[in-house]
Amino acid sequence: MNKKLIWIIGGVLGLALIVGLAAAIASEEPIDENVGFGDPTVEGQSLPMVENPNAGDPATGMTAPTVTGTDWNGNEYTIGPDGRAKIVVFLAHWCPHCQAEVPEIVQWMNAGGLPGGVDLYGVTIFTNPVRTNFPPSQWLEREGWNAPVIMDDRENSIALGYGVISTPTYIVLDGENKNLGRLAGEIGIAGYNLLASIAEASLDSGDSGDSGDDAGDS
Amino acid sequence: MNTELGVSWQFLQVYNTVLASLALLSLAGAAALVVYRIVRGEEAARNLLGDGALWLAWLVALVSTAGSLFYSEVIGFEPCRLCWFQRIFMYPMSVVLLVGAWRKEAATRLHALPLALIGVCISIYHYLVQIYPSIEGGSCDPNNPCSMRYVEVFGFVSIPFMAGAGFTLIAVLLWFYAKAKEE
Repeated sequence: MNKKLIWIIGGVLGLALIVGLAAAIASEEPIDENVGFGDPTVEGQSLPMVENPNAGDPATGMTAPTVTGTDWNGNEYTIGPDGRAKIVVFLAHWCPHCQAEVPEIVQWMNAGGLPGGVDLYGVTIFTNPVRTNFPPSQWLEREGWNAPVIMDDRENSIALGYGVISTPTYIVLDGENKNLGRLAGEIGIAGYNLLASIAEASLDSGDSGDSGDDAGDS
Repeated sequence: MNTELGVSWQFLQVYNTVLASLALLSLAGAAALVVYRIVRGEEAARNLLGDGALWLAWLVALVSTAGSLFYSEVIGFEPCRLCWFQRIFMYPMSVVLLVGAWRKEAATRLHALPLALIGVCISIYHYLVQIYPSIEGGSCDPNNPCSMRYVEVFGFVSIPFMAGAGFTLIAVLLWFYAKAKEE
């Protein structure tokens, strides 16, 4: 190799190293990897996992487990038979489909898309500090998420309890916490309206009352 | 699913940024070589690197191979399906180009150029999947979706971007080397 080539290689490697060190100096402090996980309790029979929920959910009509857990601020929420219909969306911070879906959900909720008597909950699942966009709290706050959130634990207890195998996944629950159907993938505004109408219909049919907290009305 | 980094957070920032910088410099270098060849002509291009083009191509393949192995085996990033396809085309070049450069074999271009060109096509496709995840379905498999970015430096440099830059520079260097041997 001639000297010119060696100088070029040395210059390129040196420049890359300088940029890397500068980035390290400018980088933020490491994030505590425990902040992305909760310590929820999951009680009741797990819903079966379905390979393709969009082709029909065989667990429709089954009672979903009752979940109690907290968000990153320590606020405690329960997804259970409290008489209110619910839409629960399972999100992963590293999932690009979830990253695309969250701003649309926020926009839909801010526009008043969520009917009265129906709550919406977010559940952060499959959390992984190794993957991008960690922790989920920073991501959801940045996007203006304003619905209650429960953080799953490292064992993915909530995801397993609800039979969720991909993200985003939606489940509609009636007031008795019965599964009215699950959907997976980006569903957009039309999809949210569909889920809301299913949840609202369960109220109209008298499957559930209108008592309980109003955590999801924000 | 690995949930623990094998290195410190700060080291990872340095490592990502060094590789991202190398990728951008590789692309800039490849573009400069092509422009040089067009502006200064064939003979000047031949004389610029000579047989060094093959050594340089080997160095790019070696850094790419070592860099990806460090990501998976030390840092703990699991390669996705498309990452593996790119590895299939990059890893052999770190051996093929070394032997070719050592023996100054003109046929090395025929062996390595198809690998580099197919590799760059896969990298472009993978990068597009990261930008438009719906290309490969509407939801994320938690195991290791190709649409997920383990690395995002300067807002746009991800691992397939780095691989694509390496494949591109290798392809351009092999093109230069072929011209040199035809003299």
